[in-house]
Amino acid sequence: MSPPPLTLSAPAPALRTAHTRIAPVLRHPVTVGVLAVVLAGAVGLGLVKGAGTGPAVAWDALVEGMFGSSYAVGSSLNSAAVLALIATGFTVAHRAGLVNVGGEGQLCAGGLAAAAVGTTLPAGVPAALGVPLVLVAGCVAGGAWAGIAGRLRARRGTSEVITTLLLNFVGVGLVSVAVHEEALLRQPVTSSETLPQSAPLPEGARLPLIGGVESPATAIVVIAVVAAVVTGVVLRHTAVGLRLRSVGHSPAASARLGLPVVRLETGSLAFAGAAAGLAGAALVAIAPYVLAEHFSSGYGFSGLVVGLLARGSLTAVAAVSLLFGFLTNGGINLQLAAGVPASSVQIVQSLLVLFVAAAMFTTTRNGRAS
Amino acid sequence: MSAVVEELVSGGVRLAVPLLLASSGELLSERAGVLNLSVEGMMLTGAFAGATGALASGNAGVGVLAALAAGLLFAALQALLSVVLRADQIVTGITANVLALGATTYGSRVFFGDGAADSVPGFDPIPVPGLHSVPVLGPALFEQTALGYAAFAVAAVLALGFSRRTSWGLAVDAIGEDATTADRCGLPVRAVRFAAVLLTGAVSGLAGAQLALSEVHAFSDNITGGIGYLAVVAVIAGRWRAWPTLVACLFFGVAQSLQFAAPALGLHLSAPLLTTLPYVIALLAVSGLVGRSRAPSGLTVPFLRGA
Repeated sequence: MSPPPLTLSAPAPALRTAHTRIAPVLRHPVTVGVLAVVLAGAVGLGLVKGAGTGPAVAWDALVEGMFGSSYAVGSSLNSAAVLALIATGFTVAHRAGLVNVGGEGQLCAGGLAAAAVGTTLPAGVPAALGVPLVLVAGCVAGGAWAGIAGRLRARRGTSEVITTLLLNFVGVGLVSVAVHEEALLRQPVTSSETLPQSAPLPEGARLPLIGGVESPATAIVVIAVVAAVVTGVVLRHTAVGLRLRSVGHSPAASARLGLPVVRLETGSLAFAGAAAGLAGAALVAIAPYVLAEHFSSGYGFSGLVVGLLARGSLTAVAAVSLLFGFLTNGGINLQLAAGVPASSVQIVQSLLVLFVAAAMFTTTRNGRAS
Repeated sequence: MSAVVEELVSGGVRLAVPLLLASSGELLSERAGVLNLSVEGMMLTGAFAGATGALASGNAGVGVLAALAAGLLFAALQALLSVVLRADQIVTGITANVLALGATTYGSRVFFGDGAADSVPGFDPIPVPGLHSVPVLGPALFEQTALGYAAFAVAAVLALGFSRRTSWGLAVDAIGEDATTADRCGLPVRAVRFAAVLLTGAVSGLAGAQLALSEVHAFSDNITGGIGYLAVVAVIAGRWRAWPTLVACLFFGVAQSLQFAAPALGLHLSAPLLTTLPYVIALLAVSGLVGRSRAPSGLTVPFLRGA
C-alpha cells in the first residue's frame, strides 16, 4: 500500500462543475484573451462614436500611433520594456508566494537614485561607465525599497501586500519632495518658469539608442528581453527556481525540508524591487533625461497588472507588455490625430484587464492566479 | 493666531468628512475580508454622478441620489468580480480606479464640454444655533451642510451598529478572519461580503457627492485626486478599529489643511512631504511600531466553499 499522493490543496467541487459546463476550447487562455479584446474593442468603438469621430479615422490614428513611424514603434518598445521589467520582477516574487504591489514606489526609488547619481556625474563621463552606474543605482535603490517590506514581513509578519502598497505613495511623495527642493534634486531655479524637475543627465549617463537616429528605442529594450529570458530559464530549469516554487506552494513544508524560507522570500521581493528600480532608472535615462514629478505615470501599477495577467509565464509577460506598450502610445495619437479623448484607451485597457480577471476562475484551478 | 488655528481645525475637519464617510464603509469591507482598493473610483464616480444629477435637475438632492446610485452600481460590478468571480482584489481595485478615472474624464468631455460643470447646484452650510459659536470646534463641527451632518450620522451608525459588541459586527469579523469556518457555522459569507462592498460603494458615492456638491460645487477631472486611497490607508492606520480610524481621518485632514495654513503660522513645510505623511504613519501603524496591529487574516483571500 503506497500512501495517497500528496496534494497541495483539495480539489474544488464547485469549480469542477464550472469546468464541465464550459468547453475546454472556451477556457483556453488564448480564447479568453481574444474574447476580452473583442469585447473591450466593441466598447472602444462606442466611445469613438460617442466622441463624434468615424471608426475608420480613429482606427487609422490608433494604428498610426502604434506602428506608423519608427518613432512610434521605438517609444512603444520603450514603454513595453519598462512594463516587462516590472512584470518580470513581480513574477519572481509571485513564484515565492509574495504579491508585490509596490512596483510604483520601487520605480520611484530607482528613478530617484538614478537621477541623484546621474546628475552628480561629471559632464564628460564615458557612456561605458555612466550608464551602468545609473542603472545599478536604480537597481540597488529599488531593491532596498522593496527590502523594507521584506524586512517588515520577516521581522513583524506584516503582509507585504499592505506595506508595498503604502510604500508606493511614500515613493511617489519622495520624488515630489526631491524635485521641488533645490537643496535636493531640483535644477537651479533661474526664473519663475523653471519646472520642478531635476537637471538633465549628462551625455554619458543616457541610455544608448539601438534603432538608429529616428527611433527612440534604447538599450533598455535589450536589457528587458535578456532579463525576461534569463529569469524564465532560472525559474524553470534551476534549483533556485524550484526552491522559490516550493516556498510559494508551502512555506511550512519548505522550512521542514531545510530551505531558507525567509531568505528566499526576502530575496525574491528584493529582486522584484530591483527590477522595478531598473525600470525607474531607465525612465530617467530616456529622453528628456530628467526626473520629474509623475515621471512614473502609473507604470508601476500597469506593470503589476501585466504580471498578474501573465500568471507566471514570462512569454505572456512579453506579449502583454507589448500589447500595453503599443496601446498606450496608440491612445496618445488617437487624441492628437482623431480628437478622441485619450481616456478612451484608458477605459478600453482597464476593461480588458477586468474581463480577463473576471474570466480567470475558468482557467485556474482554484481561482487564484498561480 | 487663534484665527489661524480655527481655520486649520475647521479646514481639517472639512477635508476629513469625505474621508470619514468613505472609510467607515471601507472599514467594514476590510473587516469582512475584502480589500476594496476601488474606493477612489467609487468616490470619483459618485462625484461625477452627483454633479451630473444636480446639473441636469437643478437640484442638489437629486445629485445625491444619483451619486448614491452610481456608487452602488460601481460597487455591484466590483463585488461581482471580487466576491462572486473571485478575481484578484488588488487588480480589480486598481483597475476599477483607472476605469473610473477614464470614464469620468471621458464623460465630462462629452457631457459637460467646456466649463459647464464649473458651477453646480450644491448644499449650503447650516450653522447649528448656539453651538456654532463655540470657539475652534464650533465652526469645524457645526457649520456643515445637510450632507455633512448626514455623513457624521452614517459614520456613527455604521461604527456603532457593527462594533464588536453587536452580533452583526462579530459576524463580519468572523467572516474576515476565517471565511471557511464562518461558512461552516452557517454565516452567509458571500452575501455579507457582497453587502459590505455595496455599502462601501454607497458611502463612497456619498463622499464623492460631499466633495462635489458641499465643498466645491463643481466637478473637475480627477477631483478626488487620491482621497479614496487615503480612506483605505486611514483604515489600515486605524488598525481596523473604528476610533483609531476616526482619529486617522481627522489627522489626515489636518495634515492636508496644514499645507494651506503653514505660511500663516510662519512655518516652512514642504507640501509634498505633508502629503506623504499619512502613508508613513500608516506604515508605522501596520508594522506594529506604533501599538499592536493585525490585519484580518482573510483580507484579500477569496472564499469558495469546499476549496
